[in-house]
Amino acid sequence: MKIINFLKIIIILAAVGISVALGAGIYLFNMPHRNVQSAKIDFAVSATELVNEYLTGPEVADEKYLDEEGDSKILEVSGKVSKISRDFNDQIVILIKDTGDNAGVSCTLLITSNAIGGKILEGQEIKVKGVIRSGAMFDPDMNRYENVIMEKCDIVSKI
Amino acid sequence: MKNLIASAMIFMMVVSIVGFVSPIEKLVSEKTHISFFSITPLEDITANNYKSGSTLDTRTGEIVFSVPMQSFEFEKALMQKHYNGSDFLDTKKYPRSKFVGKITNLESIDFEKNGTYSATVEGEMTIKDKTNPIKEQGKITVIDGVITAESTFKITLADYGVVFEKGKPASNIAKTIEIRFEGEYGVE
Repeated sequence: MKIINFLKIIIILAAVGISVALGAGIYLFNMPHRNVQSAKIDFAVSATELVNEYLTGPEVADEKYLDEEGDSKILEVSGKVSKISRDFNDQIVILIKDTGDNAGVSCTLLITSNAIGGKILEGQEIKVKGVIRSGAMFDPDMNRYENVIMEKCDIVSKI
Repeated sequence: MKNLIASAMIFMMVVSIVGFVSPIEKLVSEKTHISFFSITPLEDITANNYKSGSTLDTRTGEIVFSVPMQSFEFEKALMQKHYNGSDFLDTKKYPRSKFVGKITNLESIDFEKNGTYSATVEGEMTIKDKTNPIKEQGKITVIDGVITAESTFKITLADYGVVFEKGKPASNIAKTIEIRFEGEYGVE
């Protein structure tokens, strides 16, 4: 009798263990992407400061802002709208670049932010929240500066 | 009268100089789409990137792409984490990949005339810390001054130090992946 009870407990524990492992596997496989807009801001910075951080110390800036698994820092970037365009995915791209700066911050808005993005005008001062993907640099092969890249952005406010 | 003749001569000189200088020179594209496809019997994986930059010099044929690696977006978050990780593309250490090359049949492309032209591109692709030569075919389309470049080609991941020897990635990720590029160029 004792052996049967013992086997029952083993079977129940094994079933629970398998269910937990299976559940964890299914969760990991179908794990949703991070919701950038509902996550907290890691750094609030002006476009000029961010660009200068990258141009003066790219390794230090990458260490500060980029994540090994791609969940890089969420930034709130402020500055002047220099250019507005649309990408091949019909997302609005706002370049925040202050007068006199060599590079700016290229922010691709979430498609759900196209309505508010469509009201932004060149020359306006704005704040944008999004995730950083890569930094600014001078590319000698292109002979031009590359902008800081941010995606999954939304307009926080017009300043 | 002398002033009038001198002005006319200067005007003629300016007109002739402008006439000989091509209006299109170095073009820039920030409107790009790069996608890659990994196809195996177990799983098809696709990722898209809309944030690459490129320059195209229509005088020399020099063409450069700079690709922010963390901008590749996957359907599944777990795949994206694996892709970015230090065992795979290590995008924190190598945040950009690059292609530097040249259109070698520049004489058969008229960037000022509407049409679709075949382009042969030769150059070097750098992913992580590995650089390999590449020679591929592409297509240049000119429509009313808007120039679009497209190409589809394959790369072998092991050539760039991306090797999967065991586990799920070894069976689910193809050893050779297809890359598609599209960029719309204009004057900056």
